[in-house]
Amino acid sequence: MREKIKIALAQISCEQGDKTENIRKMEREVTKAKQQGAELVIFPELSLTGYTVRDQIFELAEIIPGHSTTILEQIARKTGAYIIFGMPELSRNTKATIHNTAVIVSPEGFVGKYRKMYLPTHSVFEEKRYFRPGYQPIVFETKLGKIGLIICYDIFFPEVSRLMRLKGAQLLVCISASPSTRRTFFEILTTARAIENTVFLAYVNLVGIEDGLQFWGGSRLIGPNGKVLVRTEYNKEDLKIGEVDYTDIRPIETFVPLLKDLRPDLFDKLKETAEKL
Amino acid sequence: MKLQQSILDLDFSKVEMKIERFIKDYLEKSEAKGVVLGLSGGVDSCTTAALSALAIGGNKVLGLLLPEQETHNITDMDHAKLVAKKFGFKTQMIDITSTLETYYTAIPIFDPNEKLWKGNIKARTRMVYIYYYANKLNMLVCGTSNKSETMMGYFTKWGDIAVDISPMMDLYKTQVRKLAQQINVPKEIAIKPASPTLWLGQLAERELGVKYETLDLILYGLEHFMKPEEIAHQLGIEEALVKKIKRRWLFMEHKRRMPLTTKIQYRTIGADFRLSRTFH
Repeated sequence: MREKIKIALAQISCEQGDKTENIRKMEREVTKAKQQGAELVIFPELSLTGYTVRDQIFELAEIIPGHSTTILEQIARKTGAYIIFGMPELSRNTKATIHNTAVIVSPEGFVGKYRKMYLPTHSVFEEKRYFRPGYQPIVFETKLGKIGLIICYDIFFPEVSRLMRLKGAQLLVCISASPSTRRTFFEILTTARAIENTVFLAYVNLVGIEDGLQFWGGSRLIGPNGKVLVRTEYNKEDLKIGEVDYTDIRPIETFVPLLKDLRPDLFDKLKETAEKL
Repeated sequence: MKLQQSILDLDFSKVEMKIERFIKDYLEKSEAKGVVLGLSGGVDSCTTAALSALAIGGNKVLGLLLPEQETHNITDMDHAKLVAKKFGFKTQMIDITSTLETYYTAIPIFDPNEKLWKGNIKARTRMVYIYYYANKLNMLVCGTSNKSETMMGYFTKWGDIAVDISPMMDLYKTQVRKLAQQINVPKEIAIKPASPTLWLGQLAERELGVKYETLDLILYGLEHFMKPEEIAHQLGIEEALVKKIKRRWLFMEHKRRMPLTTKIQYRTIGADFRLSRTFH
Protein backbone atom coordinates (compact mmCIF):
# COMPACT_ATOMS: atom_id res chain seq x y z
CA MET A 1 0.00 0.00 0.00
CA ARG A 2 1.20 3.49 -0.86
CA GLU A 3 2.38 5.97 1.77
CA LYS A 4 1.88 9.08 -0.28
CA ILE A 5 -0.97 9.79 -2.66
CA LYS A 6 -2.22 12.80 -4.56
CA ILE A 7 -5.88 13.63 -4.30
CA ALA A 8 -7.96 15.94 -6.51
CA LEU A 9 -10.87 17.84 -5.03
CA ALA A 10 -13.11 18.14 -8.08
CA GLN A 11 -15.60 20.81 -7.02
CA ILE A 12 -18.20 20.96 -9.77
CA SER A 13 -21.69 22.25 -10.37
CA CYS A 14 -24.14 19.77 -11.87
CA GLU A 15 -26.81 19.88 -14.51
CA GLN A 16 -29.92 18.85 -12.61
CA GLY A 17 -31.14 15.53 -13.94
CA ASP A 18 -28.65 15.35 -16.83
CA LYS A 19 -26.46 12.31 -16.21
CA THR A 20 -24.83 12.42 -19.64
CA GLU A 21 -23.65 15.99 -19.19
CA ASN A 22 -22.49 15.36 -15.63
CA ILE A 23 -20.49 12.29 -16.68
CA ARG A 24 -18.96 14.35 -19.50
CA LYS A 25 -17.91 16.96 -16.98
CA MET A 26 -16.53 14.31 -14.63
CA GLU A 27 -14.44 12.79 -17.42
CA ARG A 28 -13.05 16.23 -18.27
CA GLU A 29 -12.14 16.88 -14.64
CA VAL A 30 -10.58 13.45 -14.11
CA THR A 31 -8.42 13.90 -17.21
CA LYS A 32 -7.34 17.35 -16.03
CA ALA A 33 -6.63 16.09 -12.51
CA LYS A 34 -4.65 13.12 -13.77
CA GLN A 35 -2.50 15.43 -15.87
CA GLN A 36 -1.70 17.26 -12.65
CA GLY A 37 -0.65 14.02 -10.97
CA ALA A 38 -3.81 13.12 -9.06
CA GLU A 39 -4.42 9.44 -8.39
CA LEU A 40 -7.80 9.84 -6.71
CA VAL A 41 -10.42 12.30 -7.97
CA ILE A 42 -13.36 13.11 -5.71
CA PHE A 43 -16.69 14.61 -6.81
CA PRO A 44 -19.58 15.94 -4.67
CA GLU A 45 -22.66 14.17 -3.32
CA LEU A 46 -25.16 13.07 -6.02
CA SER A 47 -22.82 14.51 -8.63
CA LEU A 48 -24.20 12.13 -11.26
CA THR A 49 -27.62 13.78 -11.17
CA GLY A 50 -27.36 17.02 -9.22
CA TYR A 51 -28.68 17.27 -5.66
CA THR A 52 -32.11 18.85 -6.13
CA VAL A 53 -33.94 16.57 -8.53
CA ARG A 54 -36.86 15.79 -6.21
CA ASP A 55 -39.38 13.33 -7.78
CA GLN A 56 -37.11 12.82 -10.78
CA ILE A 57 -34.94 10.72 -8.48
CA PHE A 58 -37.28 7.78 -9.14
CA GLU A 59 -36.37 7.86 -12.82
CA LEU A 60 -32.70 8.68 -12.32
CA ALA A 61 -31.73 6.05 -9.72
CA GLU A 62 -29.69 3.09 -10.97
CA ILE A 63 -28.52 -0.24 -9.69
CA ILE A 64 -24.87 -0.30 -8.60
CA PRO A 65 -22.81 -1.62 -10.32
CA GLY A 66 -24.80 -0.60 -13.35
CA HIS A 67 -24.91 1.58 -16.42
CA SER A 68 -23.36 4.78 -15.05
CA THR A 69 -20.84 3.10 -12.78
CA THR A 70 -19.63 1.12 -15.79
CA ILE A 71 -18.98 4.36 -17.68
CA LEU A 72 -17.12 5.75 -14.68
CA GLU A 73 -15.10 2.52 -14.48
CA GLN A 74 -14.14 3.02 -18.13
CA ILE A 75 -13.04 6.58 -17.37
CA ALA A 76 -11.01 5.28 -14.42
CA ARG A 77 -9.41 2.65 -16.64
CA LYS A 78 -8.68 5.11 -19.41
CA THR A 79 -7.15 7.75 -17.14
CA GLY A 80 -5.60 5.45 -14.54
CA ALA A 81 -7.28 7.33 -11.68
CA TYR A 82 -9.49 6.26 -8.81
CA ILE A 83 -12.82 8.13 -8.80
CA ILE A 84 -15.29 8.77 -6.01
CA PHE A 85 -18.68 10.29 -6.87
CA GLY A 86 -22.26 10.31 -5.66
CA MET A 87 -25.46 8.96 -7.23
CA PRO A 88 -28.97 7.77 -6.40
CA GLU A 89 -28.87 3.99 -6.10
CA LEU A 90 -31.81 1.72 -6.85
CA SER A 91 -31.71 -1.34 -4.62
CA ARG A 92 -30.79 -4.46 -6.58
CA ASN A 93 -32.88 -6.56 -4.22
CA THR A 94 -36.11 -4.62 -3.97
CA LYS A 95 -35.95 -2.68 -7.28
CA ALA A 96 -38.09 -0.14 -5.47
CA THR A 97 -36.04 1.53 -2.76
CA ILE A 98 -33.43 4.22 -3.32
CA HIS A 99 -30.27 5.13 -1.44
CA ASN A 100 -28.07 8.22 -1.50
CA THR A 101 -24.81 6.47 -2.34
CA ALA A 102 -21.12 7.20 -2.76
CA VAL A 103 -19.28 5.02 -5.26
CA ILE A 104 -15.59 4.28 -5.65
CA VAL A 105 -14.17 2.93 -8.90
CA SER A 106 -10.55 2.23 -9.83
CA PRO A 107 -8.54 1.54 -12.99
CA GLU A 108 -9.14 -2.13 -12.15
CA GLY A 109 -12.91 -1.68 -11.98
CA PHE A 110 -15.66 -1.28 -9.38
CA VAL A 111 -14.35 -1.06 -5.81
CA GLY A 112 -17.41 -0.47 -3.67
CA LYS A 113 -20.17 1.77 -2.44
CA TYR A 114 -21.37 3.43 0.74
CA ARG A 115 -24.99 4.32 1.48
CA LYS A 116 -25.61 7.54 3.41
CA MET A 117 -26.67 6.72 6.96
CA TYR A 118 -28.05 10.06 8.11
CA LEU A 119 -30.65 11.57 5.79
CA PRO A 120 -31.49 15.20 6.57
CA THR A 121 -35.22 15.84 6.48
CA HIS A 122 -35.66 19.30 7.90
CA SER A 123 -35.42 22.88 6.66
CA VAL A 124 -34.92 22.65 2.88
CA PHE A 125 -33.88 18.98 2.99
CA GLU A 126 -36.29 16.17 2.18
CA GLU A 127 -34.03 13.13 1.88
CA LYS A 128 -36.06 10.71 3.98
CA ARG A 129 -38.92 11.27 1.59
CA TYR A 130 -36.83 9.69 -1.15
CA PHE A 131 -34.04 7.62 0.35
CA ARG A 132 -33.71 4.62 2.60
CA PRO A 133 -30.74 5.01 4.95
CA GLY A 134 -27.65 2.85 4.79
CA TYR A 135 -26.56 0.74 7.74
CA GLN A 136 -22.98 -0.18 6.93
CA PRO A 137 -19.93 1.93 7.68
CA ILE A 138 -17.37 0.41 5.32
CA VAL A 139 -13.66 0.89 4.83
CA PHE A 140 -12.20 0.02 1.45
CA GLU A 141 -8.69 -1.40 1.27
CA THR A 142 -7.25 0.00 -1.92
CA LYS A 143 -3.86 0.55 -3.43
CA LEU A 144 -4.25 4.17 -2.38
CA GLY A 145 -4.80 3.31 1.27
CA LYS A 146 -7.72 2.42 3.51
CA ILE A 147 -10.54 4.74 2.58
CA GLY A 148 -13.77 5.37 4.49
CA LEU A 149 -16.64 7.14 2.75
CA ILE A 150 -19.24 9.37 4.38
CA ILE A 151 -21.83 11.66 2.86
CA CYS A 152 -22.60 15.23 3.94
CA TYR A 153 -24.95 15.13 6.98
CA ASP A 154 -23.16 11.98 8.25
CA ILE A 155 -20.38 14.30 9.38
CA PHE A 156 -22.64 15.76 12.10
CA PHE A 157 -22.64 12.34 13.77
CA PRO A 158 -19.10 11.61 14.98
CA GLU A 159 -19.76 7.93 15.50
CA VAL A 160 -19.83 7.26 11.72
CA SER A 161 -16.35 8.65 11.16
CA ARG A 162 -15.16 7.05 14.38
CA LEU A 163 -16.35 3.61 13.33
CA MET A 164 -14.54 3.92 10.02
CA ARG A 165 -11.37 5.06 11.72
CA LEU A 166 -11.56 2.16 14.16
CA LYS A 167 -11.99 -0.16 11.18
CA GLY A 168 -8.64 1.18 9.96
CA ALA A 169 -9.49 4.09 7.67
CA GLN A 170 -6.53 6.37 7.02
CA LEU A 171 -8.45 8.68 4.74
CA LEU A 172 -12.05 9.73 5.29
CA VAL A 173 -13.76 11.07 2.20
CA CYS A 174 -16.86 13.18 2.76
CA ILE A 175 -18.81 14.06 -0.37
CA SER A 176 -21.33 16.80 0.17
CA ALA A 177 -24.05 19.07 -1.20
CA SER A 178 -24.10 21.75 1.45
CA PRO A 179 -25.94 25.04 0.90
CA SER A 180 -24.26 28.23 2.03
CA THR A 181 -26.38 28.67 5.17
CA ARG A 182 -24.55 25.61 6.57
CA ARG A 183 -21.02 26.63 5.70
CA THR A 184 -19.85 27.40 9.25
CA PHE A 185 -20.95 23.99 10.51
CA PHE A 186 -19.03 22.13 7.85
CA GLU A 187 -15.90 24.24 8.17
CA ILE A 188 -15.77 23.34 11.85
CA LEU A 189 -16.94 19.72 11.65
CA THR A 190 -14.57 18.67 8.85
CA THR A 191 -11.63 19.82 10.96
CA ALA A 192 -13.08 18.26 14.12
CA ARG A 193 -13.58 14.83 12.49
CA ALA A 194 -9.97 14.87 11.23
CA ILE A 195 -8.52 15.88 14.62
CA GLU A 196 -10.60 13.59 16.84
CA ASN A 197 -9.78 10.57 14.70
CA THR A 198 -6.22 11.53 13.74
CA VAL A 199 -7.08 10.85 10.15
CA PHE A 200 -6.84 12.59 6.78
CA LEU A 201 -10.16 13.96 5.63
CA ALA A 202 -11.07 15.06 2.13
CA TYR A 203 -14.27 17.09 1.90
CA VAL A 204 -15.71 17.83 -1.54
CA ASN A 205 -18.76 20.05 -1.80
CA LEU A 206 -21.04 21.00 -4.65
CA VAL A 207 -21.19 24.49 -6.17
CA GLY A 208 -23.82 26.19 -8.27
CA ILE A 209 -27.46 27.02 -7.61
CA GLU A 210 -30.25 24.45 -7.66
CA ASP A 211 -33.81 25.61 -6.96
CA GLY A 212 -32.52 28.72 -5.20
CA LEU A 213 -30.12 26.75 -2.99
CA GLN A 214 -26.60 28.09 -3.33
CA PHE A 215 -23.91 25.49 -2.68
CA TRP A 216 -20.79 27.07 -1.27
CA GLY A 217 -17.94 24.82 -2.38
CA GLY A 218 -14.95 25.36 -0.11
CA SER A 219 -13.77 21.75 -0.52
CA ARG A 220 -10.69 20.85 1.45
CA LEU A 221 -8.10 18.28 2.35
CA ILE A 222 -7.37 18.26 6.07
CA GLY A 223 -4.44 16.63 7.83
CA PRO A 224 -4.73 14.48 10.98
CA ASN A 225 -3.70 17.50 13.07
CA GLY A 226 -6.59 19.56 11.67
CA LYS A 227 -4.46 21.61 9.31
CA VAL A 228 -6.17 22.51 6.03
CA LEU A 229 -3.64 21.28 3.47
CA VAL A 230 -5.45 22.54 0.42
CA ARG A 231 -8.76 24.28 -0.19
CA THR A 232 -10.78 25.10 -3.27
CA GLU A 233 -12.51 28.39 -4.04
CA TYR A 234 -15.83 29.32 -2.50
CA ASN A 235 -18.92 29.47 -4.73
CA LYS A 236 -17.31 28.50 -8.02
CA GLU A 237 -16.07 25.42 -9.79
CA ASP A 238 -12.50 24.56 -8.93
CA LEU A 239 -10.03 21.71 -9.03
CA LYS A 240 -7.24 21.49 -6.46
CA ILE A 241 -4.70 18.76 -5.84
CA GLY A 242 -3.36 17.91 -2.40
CA GLU A 243 -0.94 15.33 -1.12
CA VAL A 244 -1.57 12.86 1.66
CA ASP A 245 1.36 11.29 3.51
CA TYR A 246 -0.01 8.51 5.69
CA THR A 247 3.20 8.41 7.73
CA ASP A 248 2.06 11.73 9.27
CA ILE A 249 -0.70 9.96 11.17
CA ARG A 250 1.41 8.09 13.69
CA PRO A 251 3.46 10.99 15.08
CA ILE A 252 0.28 13.04 15.47
CA GLU A 253 -1.54 10.20 17.23
CA THR A 254 1.52 9.91 19.51
CA PHE A 255 1.41 13.65 20.24
CA VAL A 256 -2.36 13.75 20.86
CA PRO A 257 -3.30 10.11 21.50
CA LEU A 258 -7.03 10.34 20.88
CA LEU A 259 -7.46 6.76 19.78
CA LYS A 260 -5.37 5.41 22.64
CA ASP A 261 -7.54 7.30 25.11
CA LEU A 262 -10.88 6.14 23.75
CA ARG A 263 -13.27 4.88 26.46
CA PRO A 264 -15.47 2.09 25.03
CA ASP A 265 -17.36 1.84 28.34
CA LEU A 266 -18.87 5.25 27.60
CA PHE A 267 -20.27 3.98 24.31
CA ASP A 268 -22.57 1.58 26.18
CA LYS A 269 -23.77 4.45 28.36
CA LEU A 270 -24.24 6.57 25.28
CA LYS A 271 -26.42 3.89 23.72
CA GLU A 272 -28.50 3.41 26.88
CA THR A 273 -29.02 7.15 27.28
CA ALA A 274 -29.80 7.80 23.63
CA GLU A 275 -32.44 5.08 23.61
CA LYS A 276 -34.25 6.85 26.43
CA LEU A 277 -34.06 10.32 24.87
CA MET B 1 -33.39 34.74 21.56
CA LYS B 2 -33.29 38.49 22.11
CA LEU B 3 -35.43 40.41 19.64
CA GLN B 4 -33.52 43.59 18.85
CA GLN B 5 -32.63 45.43 15.66
CA SER B 6 -29.15 43.86 15.56
CA ILE B 7 -30.71 40.41 15.13
CA LEU B 8 -31.67 41.50 11.61
CA ASP B 9 -28.08 42.39 10.75
CA LEU B 10 -26.62 40.43 7.88
CA ASP B 11 -23.35 40.63 6.02
CA PHE B 12 -24.90 42.69 3.24
CA SER B 13 -21.91 42.36 0.92
CA LYS B 14 -22.49 38.59 1.01
CA VAL B 15 -26.23 39.07 0.57
CA GLU B 16 -25.53 41.24 -2.46
CA MET B 17 -23.28 38.56 -3.96
CA LYS B 18 -25.84 35.83 -3.32
CA ILE B 19 -28.66 37.75 -4.95
CA GLU B 20 -26.57 38.73 -7.94
CA ARG B 21 -25.39 35.14 -8.42
CA PHE B 22 -28.99 33.97 -8.18
CA ILE B 23 -30.25 36.40 -10.85
CA LYS B 24 -27.35 35.65 -13.20
CA ASP B 25 -27.62 31.89 -12.78
CA TYR B 26 -31.38 31.78 -13.25
CA LEU B 27 -31.19 33.98 -16.33
CA GLU B 28 -28.49 31.80 -17.90
CA LYS B 29 -30.44 28.61 -17.21
CA SER B 30 -33.65 30.09 -18.59
CA GLU B 31 -31.84 31.26 -21.74
CA ALA B 32 -33.80 34.52 -21.61
CA LYS B 33 -32.21 37.74 -22.80
CA GLY B 34 -32.64 39.80 -19.66
CA VAL B 35 -35.09 40.88 -16.99
CA VAL B 36 -37.95 43.33 -17.05
CA LEU B 37 -39.45 44.77 -13.90
CA GLY B 38 -41.95 47.33 -12.78
CA LEU B 39 -40.06 50.36 -11.50
CA SER B 40 -42.12 52.48 -9.11
CA GLY B 41 -39.28 54.57 -7.74
CA GLY B 42 -39.61 52.90 -4.32
CA VAL B 43 -36.77 51.23 -2.49
CA ASP B 44 -37.80 47.66 -3.39
CA SER B 45 -38.00 48.08 -7.15
CA CYS B 46 -35.02 50.44 -7.34
CA THR B 47 -32.83 48.04 -5.36
CA THR B 48 -33.96 45.00 -7.35
CA ALA B 49 -33.31 46.79 -10.62
CA ALA B 50 -29.89 47.94 -9.41
CA LEU B 51 -28.96 44.42 -8.28
CA SER B 52 -30.11 43.03 -11.63
CA ALA B 53 -27.95 45.53 -13.47
CA LEU B 54 -24.96 44.67 -11.27
CA ALA B 55 -25.59 40.96 -11.86
CA ILE B 56 -26.17 40.80 -15.61
CA GLY B 57 -25.33 44.28 -16.94
CA GLY B 58 -27.64 47.24 -17.37
CA ASN B 59 -28.19 46.53 -21.07
CA LYS B 60 -30.09 43.37 -20.07
CA VAL B 61 -32.37 45.14 -17.58
CA LEU B 62 -35.50 47.04 -18.50
CA GLY B 63 -37.41 49.03 -15.90
CA LEU B 64 -40.99 49.88 -16.84
CA LEU B 65 -42.35 53.05 -15.30
CA LEU B 66 -46.12 52.64 -15.33
CA PRO B 67 -47.69 55.76 -13.82
CA GLU B 68 -51.37 56.61 -13.85
CA GLN B 69 -53.18 59.85 -13.28
CA GLU B 70 -54.56 59.30 -9.78
CA THR B 71 -51.29 58.41 -8.08
CA HIS B 72 -48.79 60.07 -10.39
CA ASN B 73 -45.85 61.24 -8.32
CA ILE B 74 -43.05 63.15 -10.00
CA THR B 75 -40.58 62.46 -7.19
CA ASP B 76 -41.05 58.70 -7.58
CA MET B 77 -40.52 58.94 -11.33
CA ASP B 78 -37.41 61.04 -10.77
CA HIS B 79 -36.10 58.47 -8.31
CA ALA B 80 -36.67 55.68 -10.82
CA LYS B 81 -34.79 57.59 -13.52
CA LEU B 82 -32.01 58.48 -11.09
CA VAL B 83 -31.38 54.82 -10.24
CA ALA B 84 -31.59 53.82 -13.89
CA LYS B 85 -28.93 56.40 -14.77
CA LYS B 86 -26.69 55.48 -11.86
CA PHE B 87 -26.80 51.72 -12.56
CA GLY B 88 -26.98 52.03 -16.33
CA PHE B 89 -30.16 50.14 -17.15
CA LYS B 90 -32.89 50.99 -19.63
CA THR B 91 -36.31 52.38 -18.77
CA GLN B 92 -39.53 53.00 -20.59
CA MET B 93 -42.41 55.07 -19.28
CA ILE B 94 -45.98 54.20 -20.27
CA ASP B 95 -48.96 56.02 -18.85
CA ILE B 96 -51.55 53.34 -18.08
CA THR B 97 -54.41 55.74 -17.24
CA SER B 98 -56.43 55.12 -20.40
CA THR B 99 -56.17 51.32 -20.00
CA LEU B 100 -57.40 51.58 -16.42
CA GLU B 101 -60.28 53.84 -17.41
CA THR B 102 -61.31 51.30 -20.03
CA TYR B 103 -61.49 48.64 -17.30
CA TYR B 104 -63.46 50.93 -15.01
CA THR B 105 -66.09 51.54 -17.69
CA ALA B 106 -66.06 47.98 -19.09
CA ILE B 107 -66.70 46.16 -15.82
CA PRO B 108 -70.49 46.30 -15.28
CA ILE B 109 -70.24 46.04 -11.48
CA PHE B 110 -67.27 48.39 -11.11
CA ASP B 111 -67.47 50.39 -7.87
CA PRO B 112 -65.23 53.50 -7.87
CA ASN B 113 -65.59 53.84 -4.11
CA GLU B 114 -63.85 50.53 -3.38
CA LYS B 115 -60.25 51.68 -3.29
CA LEU B 116 -58.69 48.26 -2.77
CA TRP B 117 -60.45 46.46 -5.61
CA LYS B 118 -59.73 49.37 -7.89
CA GLY B 119 -56.12 49.36 -6.73
CA ASN B 120 -55.86 45.67 -7.55
CA ILE B 121 -56.87 46.45 -11.14
CA LYS B 122 -53.91 48.81 -11.28
CA ALA B 123 -51.44 46.21 -9.97
CA ARG B 124 -52.80 43.52 -12.32
CA THR B 125 -52.76 45.88 -15.28
CA ARG B 126 -49.11 46.67 -14.60
CA MET B 127 -48.48 42.90 -14.55
CA VAL B 128 -50.08 42.58 -18.00
CA TYR B 129 -47.81 45.28 -19.42
CA ILE B 130 -44.70 43.82 -17.83
CA TYR B 131 -45.44 40.30 -19.07
CA TYR B 132 -46.13 41.58 -22.56
CA TYR B 133 -42.68 43.15 -22.64
CA ALA B 134 -41.18 39.97 -21.22
CA ASN B 135 -42.83 37.84 -23.93
CA LYS B 136 -41.98 40.20 -26.73
CA LEU B 137 -38.34 40.72 -25.69
CA ASN B 138 -37.74 37.17 -24.40
CA MET B 139 -37.04 38.42 -20.91
CA LEU B 140 -37.88 37.21 -17.42
CA VAL B 141 -40.14 39.16 -15.11
CA CYS B 142 -38.21 40.01 -11.99
CA GLY B 143 -40.26 40.57 -8.86
CA THR B 144 -39.45 43.20 -6.26
CA SER B 145 -41.30 41.81 -3.23
CA ASN B 146 -39.74 41.74 0.22
CA LYS B 147 -40.28 39.22 3.01
CA SER B 148 -42.24 41.53 5.34
CA GLU B 149 -44.94 42.39 2.83
CA THR B 150 -45.04 38.88 1.38
CA MET B 151 -45.57 37.36 4.82
CA MET B 152 -48.28 39.94 5.52
CA GLY B 153 -49.99 39.26 2.19
CA TYR B 154 -49.57 42.96 1.54
CA PHE B 155 -49.65 42.69 -2.22
CA THR B 156 -52.13 42.07 -5.01
CA LYS B 157 -52.79 38.40 -5.75
CA TRP B 158 -51.74 37.77 -9.37
CA GLY B 159 -50.58 41.40 -9.53
CA ASP B 160 -47.20 42.58 -8.29
CA ILE B 161 -46.48 39.06 -6.97
CA ALA B 162 -46.92 37.50 -10.45
CA VAL B 163 -43.31 37.16 -11.56
CA ASP B 164 -40.73 34.60 -12.64
CA ILE B 165 -38.17 35.21 -9.90
CA SER B 166 -38.25 37.25 -6.75
CA PRO B 167 -34.64 37.80 -5.67
CA MET B 168 -35.28 39.81 -2.49
CA MET B 169 -38.19 37.85 -1.08
CA ASP B 170 -36.11 36.43 1.75
CA LEU B 171 -35.18 39.89 3.07
CA TYR B 172 -37.30 41.86 5.51
CA LYS B 173 -38.09 45.44 4.56
CA THR B 174 -35.57 46.97 6.96
CA GLN B 175 -32.94 44.63 5.52
CA VAL B 176 -33.82 45.76 1.99
CA ARG B 177 -33.16 49.33 3.07
CA LYS B 178 -29.73 48.30 4.36
CA LEU B 179 -28.98 46.35 1.21
CA ALA B 180 -29.96 49.43 -0.81
CA GLN B 181 -27.38 51.44 1.07
CA GLN B 182 -24.80 48.67 0.64
CA ILE B 183 -25.04 48.96 -3.15
CA ASN B 184 -25.27 52.77 -3.05
CA VAL B 185 -28.87 53.27 -4.06
CA PRO B 186 -29.34 56.99 -3.28
CA LYS B 187 -30.25 57.50 0.38
CA GLU B 188 -33.42 59.47 -0.31
CA ILE B 189 -34.78 56.35 -2.03
CA ALA B 190 -33.47 53.90 0.57
CA ILE B 191 -35.19 55.62 3.48
CA LYS B 192 -38.37 57.05 2.00
CA PRO B 193 -41.71 55.78 3.33
CA ALA B 194 -43.05 52.75 1.49
CA SER B 195 -46.25 52.86 -0.53
CA PRO B 196 -47.82 50.46 -3.03
CA THR B 197 -49.29 53.64 -4.66
CA LEU B 198 -52.60 52.04 -5.48
CA TRP B 199 -54.33 55.24 -4.39
CA LEU B 200 -53.26 58.74 -3.46
CA GLY B 201 -51.60 59.11 -0.08
CA GLN B 202 -51.46 55.37 0.59
CA LEU B 203 -48.73 54.53 3.11
CA ALA B 204 -47.71 50.96 3.89
CA GLU B 205 -46.95 51.45 7.58
CA ARG B 206 -50.27 53.20 8.18
CA GLU B 207 -52.15 50.34 6.51
CA LEU B 208 -50.18 47.62 8.23
CA GLY B 209 -50.68 49.41 11.53
CA VAL B 210 -47.08 49.05 12.64
CA LYS B 211 -43.64 50.46 11.83
CA TYR B 212 -41.43 48.21 9.71
CA GLU B 213 -38.78 48.23 12.45
CA THR B 214 -41.29 46.58 14.80
CA LEU B 215 -43.06 44.47 12.18
CA ASP B 216 -39.79 42.90 11.04
CA LEU B 217 -38.89 41.88 14.57
CA ILE B 218 -42.36 40.41 15.11
CA LEU B 219 -42.10 38.46 11.87
CA TYR B 220 -38.56 37.35 12.71
CA GLY B 221 -39.86 36.02 16.02
CA LEU B 222 -42.71 34.18 14.29
CA GLU B 223 -40.28 32.79 11.71
CA HIS B 224 -38.28 31.39 14.61
CA PHE B 225 -41.34 29.79 16.25
CA MET B 226 -41.51 32.29 19.13
CA LYS B 227 -44.84 32.59 20.94
CA PRO B 228 -46.78 35.87 20.49
CA GLU B 229 -46.71 36.58 24.24
CA GLU B 230 -42.93 36.27 24.30
CA ILE B 231 -42.55 38.53 21.24
CA ALA B 232 -44.90 41.12 22.76
CA HIS B 233 -43.10 40.95 26.10
CA GLN B 234 -39.68 41.42 24.56
CA LEU B 235 -40.72 44.28 22.29
CA GLY B 236 -42.88 45.97 24.93
CA ILE B 237 -45.96 45.98 22.68
CA GLU B 238 -49.53 44.73 22.96
CA GLU B 239 -49.89 40.96 22.61
CA ALA B 240 -53.05 41.61 20.57
CA LEU B 241 -50.98 43.32 17.87
CA VAL B 242 -48.61 40.35 17.58
CA LYS B 243 -51.54 37.93 17.47
CA LYS B 244 -53.20 40.03 14.77
CA ILE B 245 -50.02 39.95 12.68
CA LYS B 246 -49.67 36.22 13.20
CA ARG B 247 -53.25 35.59 12.12
CA ARG B 248 -52.78 37.75 9.02
CA TRP B 249 -49.53 35.94 8.12
CA LEU B 250 -51.21 32.51 8.34
CA PHE B 251 -54.46 33.60 6.69
CA MET B 252 -52.63 35.01 3.67
CA GLU B 253 -50.93 31.74 2.70
CA HIS B 254 -53.47 31.34 -0.13
CA LYS B 255 -51.94 34.41 -1.80
CA ARG B 256 -48.48 32.87 -1.78
CA ARG B 257 -49.31 29.51 -3.34
CA MET B 258 -50.63 27.94 -6.49
CA PRO B 259 -54.40 27.29 -6.23
CA LEU B 260 -55.45 24.45 -3.95
CA THR B 261 -57.19 21.43 -5.37
CA THR B 262 -58.56 18.30 -3.76
CA LYS B 263 -56.58 15.09 -4.07
CA ILE B 264 -58.09 12.61 -6.50
CA GLN B 265 -55.27 10.88 -8.30
CA TYR B 266 -51.81 9.36 -7.88
CA ARG B 267 -49.78 12.59 -7.88
CA THR B 268 -51.39 15.98 -7.45
CA ILE B 269 -50.26 19.45 -8.52
CA GLY B 270 -49.32 21.54 -5.52
CA ALA B 271 -49.40 18.52 -3.19
CA ASP B 272 -47.22 15.52 -4.01
CA PHE B 273 -45.97 16.46 -7.44
CA ARG B 274 -42.56 17.59 -6.23
CA LEU B 275 -40.49 18.72 -9.14
CA SER B 276 -37.38 20.79 -9.37
CA ARG B 277 -37.91 24.41 -10.40
CA THR B 278 -34.77 24.56 -12.50
CA PHE B 279 -34.92 21.13 -14.12
CA HIS B 280 -34.04 21.07 -17.82
